[in-house]
Amino acid sequence: MASVLQKIVEQKHYRFIDGEGVTWQEAVRLSAESLVADGSVEEDYYKQIVDCIEKYGPYVVFDHNVAMPHTSENATGAHKTGIGFMVSEHMIDFGEDEDGEKKEANLFFTLSAVNADEHMDNIAQLSNIFMNDDLLDALAAARTPEDILAAEAKYPCED
Amino acid sequence: MAKLDGKKLLACCANGAGSSLMMENAIKKVLKKYDIKPGELRHCAVSEGKSAARSYDVVFCARTFAKTFEGIEANGTVLIPLKNVMSDKEIEAALKEADLLD
Repeated sequence: MASVLQKIVEQKHYRFIDGEGVTWQEAVRLSAESLVADGSVEEDYYKQIVDCIEKYGPYVVFDHNVAMPHTSENATGAHKTGIGFMVSEHMIDFGEDEDGEKKEANLFFTLSAVNADEHMDNIAQLSNIFMNDDLLDALAAARTPEDILAAEAKYPCED
Repeated sequence: MAKLDGKKLLACCANGAGSSLMMENAIKKVLKKYDIKPGELRHCAVSEGKSAARSYDVVFCARTFAKTFEGIEANGTVLIPLKNVMSDKEIEAALKEADLLD
């Protein structure tokens, strides 16, 4: 079965941006654009994600500058389960968390969840990717879809 | 019998669709490692978890949401706030700290 990174490349759910001076709200919108392009989500789907982060803080930004912007399952405007992958050359500032720790991200995995099983599998695979620092470094340096596949081939996840 | 055998475990995040699932997966890894068979393990959104939490033995959440669950410990529920929701190592250490692992 194709890995989530292979699916991202096959489905063209990727985007590479410079990111200089881009707000996190705009970054979330850009990260969902590849999902909008093939109708996986509607154009304003990203607004629900932005609302959620504004309400709860930057909890979607994990260690190693990885962001997983998402809303609930079967959110309005979500039609297909998928992951919008984005690399930003510059760090995107998400402000501070509840401990005053600065949160920023250059890797985005923006989720759309419709099919529960498929979403569950995506999350399980993403957990492994997010714990794989070498792979994350290689993905952050990716500038083309081929780079994404090469990164995964070089630093495969366990399981 | 392991201390967590038959216990009810809950993982909560903002939406009940992202980080709570990651937590559930990480918790499963720890349970497997220690051969623990919990009575229940599920994930949900904080909004639902707030009222449900009291009927669980252990509640896991991202640190951001720890305040939401203030007071549940008076009922005997153990609250485990996590810095990294997908780290099975952090979960294992926290459960040890709470004296819930054998």
